[in-house]
Amino acid sequence: MDDTATSNQQGRQDRLQVLSGRLTRSNEDRVVAGLSAGIAARLGIPTVYVRAGFLSLTLAGGFGILCYLAGWIITPDEKQYGSMIKADQPATTGQQVGLALGFLAVLIALEALGFWFGPIVWPATLVIFGAALIWDRSSAESRRRLSRLTRPSENGGGRSKTQIFVGAALMAVGIVVVLASLDSIQSLGPAAIAVLLTAAGFMLLFGPWIWGLFEELSDERRARIREQERADMAAHLHDSVLQTLAMIQRSDDPQRMITLARAQERDLRTWLFEPTGLQPTGTVGGAIAAAASKVEADFNVPVEVVVVGDRALDDGLNPLVAASSEAMANAAEHSGARSISVYVECTDDAVDAWVTDQGVGFSPQAVPEDRKGISESITARMARAGGEAIVMSAPDEGTEVHLRSGSR
Amino acid sequence: MTSIYLVDDHELFLSGVRAELSERFDVAGWSTDVDAAVDGIRKNRPDVVLVDVHMPGGGGLSVVGNVLDTNPDIRFLALSVSDAPEDVIAMIRAGARGYVTKSIEPEALADAIERIAAGDAVFSPKLAGFVLDAFSDTVPVEADPELDQLTPREREVLRQIARGYAYKQVATRLSISVKTVETHVSAVLRKLQLSNRHELARWASERRIV
Repeated sequence: MDDTATSNQQGRQDRLQVLSGRLTRSNEDRVVAGLSAGIAARLGIPTVYVRAGFLSLTLAGGFGILCYLAGWIITPDEKQYGSMIKADQPATTGQQVGLALGFLAVLIALEALGFWFGPIVWPATLVIFGAALIWDRSSAESRRRLSRLTRPSENGGGRSKTQIFVGAALMAVGIVVVLASLDSIQSLGPAAIAVLLTAAGFMLLFGPWIWGLFEELSDERRARIREQERADMAAHLHDSVLQTLAMIQRSDDPQRMITLARAQERDLRTWLFEPTGLQPTGTVGGAIAAAASKVEADFNVPVEVVVVGDRALDDGLNPLVAASSEAMANAAEHSGARSISVYVECTDDAVDAWVTDQGVGFSPQAVPEDRKGISESITARMARAGGEAIVMSAPDEGTEVHLRSGSR
Repeated sequence: MTSIYLVDDHELFLSGVRAELSERFDVAGWSTDVDAAVDGIRKNRPDVVLVDVHMPGGGGLSVVGNVLDTNPDIRFLALSVSDAPEDVIAMIRAGARGYVTKSIEPEALADAIERIAAGDAVFSPKLAGFVLDAFSDTVPVEADPELDQLTPREREVLRQIARGYAYKQVATRLSISVKTVETHVSAVLRKLQLSNRHELARWASERRIV
């Protein structure tokens, strides 16, 4: 069952690929230019049908020949396909002529088949050609505007001015002839039609230009924002990564290099992956991570922090952060462990933190009175804040400090 | 000897890991890009593949997906510099049986590979934290308790892992056998891969869109 499903899917994908592929002229299977074979491959039908179609259309007043010529000019050769695939290239002169020929072919065919609208057709054709020239100019212009972002000195006004002129002239002629031949429907009100046509011509002539102004404005704003982002990133990298790399090159203590690299890694990671809206020091996890970075830097021992259910830091939780920091420092200084783990879990009722190392451990009863680290900075501090601290350790079995702060 | 295959686009890291692991494992091959990796893995059929998450051409996700389509018996351990939850979760949901960061100690990495080869799951403390986070809030209304919730015991095992304890220590601390710890972690892996919890779906889909 799976196999059928897969092969069905495969077939559909192949078909999609055929339909979405670009029409090209075949190199292998050609009588004149390979157009028929190209069309057949694209549509997925035998080539002979396409050839028969062209031949029978040729009988209809030479329409087939014109169509074939138009297709030949518009369609790229298979071999050129790679270079043609870059979308949005301006149409080449050949392609423009080809399109015009195709248009004429359609007109001839319509005339031959008896669909003809009388003398209005040729002036209308002129208007359409004029409009096409203007539209072509406007899209070429927007392409240039895009490329101007990278090549500011590019200048290509001459051709487009000629095109505007020709386009406008063709349109004017077309409009005049249309108006002149509209005797039969004068009841509609010639003035209204003239106004409409003029407005349409105006929009065609100046519409692209007005639109272009808006586009240019937003392009420039986007470019400015990108430039600003790039500058911010460069400044950040300069202050952080480049400085650290310089320090590493000047250091000959491997442990120090590792610490520098780790601190930099942590910093860069925060900068890259933390959501920008959230101020990292504004949460319990952020504050613990900051304390961990400091311990790493001070004692050259990596501290791995895992936070579950992070939440905003309020004053009531400051003692927990401070005690965690003290526990990390103790572990880094005395345990001899290669790394320290910190696990913070925030729930609705409380915030728990475990600071764990797998170092030498100690016997809690044997700590001398004058060593205030644990009793004062951790146990008493948590007790004053209404929380608790449990220190579990035994020689050679590592140390775990569990801190708990009830929420208020 | 367990055979392994390495996939990473960073040559330096690749040669470092190769040197570290070549004593304990039979290094069947390595690749630096996605397509070569898929071919190489299918040809060499290693027991375990160490795969980097971020690579040009689709990344570790497409290596795991493509190979598992044809060779569902090959096991993957994801290895990355990224701690971003969506990366971790997406790799696991694509079929990787474990996730560790590149800063892992060589011995711990070797243990992780053995564990994966034996069919178990490997959770780094970070991954355990993500899972607890993702499964922590209220259960969705139409939840499948089998898949969308962790049992209290599974939760406790994950907490111990998140606190930095190895499986053996977790077993001692919870007075259970190492085998039981492995069973719990494998059950969590299965939930992670199959659950429809929206956090997991969201993480995974965000990653696939990119």
